[in-house]
Amino acid sequence: MKTFKHSCSVLLIGLASSLASAEISVIVSTNNPNESIDQNTVSKIFLGKAKSFPDGSQAVPIDQDDGAAARVAFNSTVLGKSASQLKSYWSRLIFTGKGTPPKQSGNDAAVKELVANNPNIIGYVDSSVVDSSVKVVHKF
Amino acid sequence: MKNIAKNLLLASIGIASSSQANDLNINGFLSVGASMLDNDKVEISGYDTNGGFKQDTILGLQLSKQVNDSTTVTGQLVSRGSEDYNTESAWAYINFAANDDLDLRMGRLRVPFYYYSDFLEVGFAYDWIRPPAEVYSVPFSSVDGVDATYRFSIGNWDNSAQAYYGRYTPEGAGVDLRNFTGLALSGQTGDFSLRASYHRLEIISDGTGSFGAVNQGAAALIGTTGSALNTGLLAAGYSNQDIAGAVDDFTLTGQEIGFYGIAAGYDNGDYSAIAEYTQSFGDAPFIPIVNTYLVKAAKRFSDITAHLTFTSSETELDSGINETIQKSLMLEDKQSSIILGARYDYDSSSALKFEIQQLTEDMRSGAGEIDETGMLYSVAIDLVF
Repeated sequence: MKTFKHSCSVLLIGLASSLASAEISVIVSTNNPNESIDQNTVSKIFLGKAKSFPDGSQAVPIDQDDGAAARVAFNSTVLGKSASQLKSYWSRLIFTGKGTPPKQSGNDAAVKELVANNPNIIGYVDSSVVDSSVKVVHKF
Repeated sequence: MKNIAKNLLLASIGIASSSQANDLNINGFLSVGASMLDNDKVEISGYDTNGGFKQDTILGLQLSKQVNDSTTVTGQLVSRGSEDYNTESAWAYINFAANDDLDLRMGRLRVPFYYYSDFLEVGFAYDWIRPPAEVYSVPFSSVDGVDATYRFSIGNWDNSAQAYYGRYTPEGAGVDLRNFTGLALSGQTGDFSLRASYHRLEIISDGTGSFGAVNQGAAALIGTTGSALNTGLLAAGYSNQDIAGAVDDFTLTGQEIGFYGIAAGYDNGDYSAIAEYTQSFGDAPFIPIVNTYLVKAAKRFSDITAHLTFTSSETELDSGINETIQKSLMLEDKQSSIILGARYDYDSSSALKFEIQQLTEDMRSGAGEIDETGMLYSVAIDLVF
């Protein structure tokens, strides 16, 4: 029994570290004046509750495609919601004209390119693809 | 050459962002349901013991377009099986965003009576197959007018205040609902949400349609010498003057109706709960005070959500002669339900739902007491696209 518990905890630690290694970065254009954005603000922007960056400029969030690893991690860690909870959340807003979900904009590379070219766009990518074309404002 | 390339790049970014602003968004929802009632003495409008496929079937199509930076137009067409698939505009409005926190709208809007009012028909957005009829009982859901929604934060609370003013003329009822106005406040922090709303309207009947008929019928029953009700009232010791006063009281046109609702919700992802209470009241004793509530708890097991709801609706009568008349007009009514259901999210935009509802009706009238219990079994598929 003890051995079983031990192997379980080893497994959990292994799992936790493998999750931790897939670090996600929230990115904006290098032309965007905001240096750091806290998780609460990122969450508000992606849930349509805030429409501007902390400096007051317009914020346009973009999502990765459904099922992308970065999106699953972002949804559960930053937004704290499952895919179906989010769909239900957005259907409440869409059908009252109160908001539209962030556009699905492809994978890590596509999101990075869109973000690099427009100072209003905010996205998230696996930290491994981050380069000098974008600026990291939040990591988890 | 480099400059040309740069200009082209800038131009293409410009085009990309303007085409984004000019996107026509098309969204839709579809619910397809089947249901069966096991006791034909229980009356739930549209449901019967032979089973049906129409009552919970609803198709909605929404078009919205951003006209410029601050203006959006939105139209939502809804076709309901319960109304023989007649298509109606549930929403049709222009939204002007005065700034990030203030939206002004004009056109056909949803009346924010209830917690779930805004997305009343989007089954995918909630766990039930349909919101409980005990609470969700106002027979219309739109108003033609203007509203303003202001969003603000206090500490950790994200709040909104919505005020509207308008008018609504239901088809064929011979009634005009004027000076229709209200205020809805809602707040959300973390897993908690609160909501309160108040509404009032004035009823103007032109004497025609179903509403006019009921109105005149009641006055005739009460005031006509020799009618059973008139004779009964005289026998109970009321004077002709009392009765004339009651006829005036029971005249609906020009009377005000008020409504308020409060609700609290909790959702931590695994467990969720909501409680909602409403009261409607009228100047006219014809519309007695109705108190309704629902309490619902749900537990999410990955893709499956199990939920249990208690809900009730009960009239509160006046006293004296008006109470006697209200009773004889069968305005006393009590109804409650227990709803047990499950929702299965089989992908991120469709859900399969099952529900068993035990409905108890307790209506007291001059003819005695009607006390019936029935079971309503329902299944539905909800999609959003």
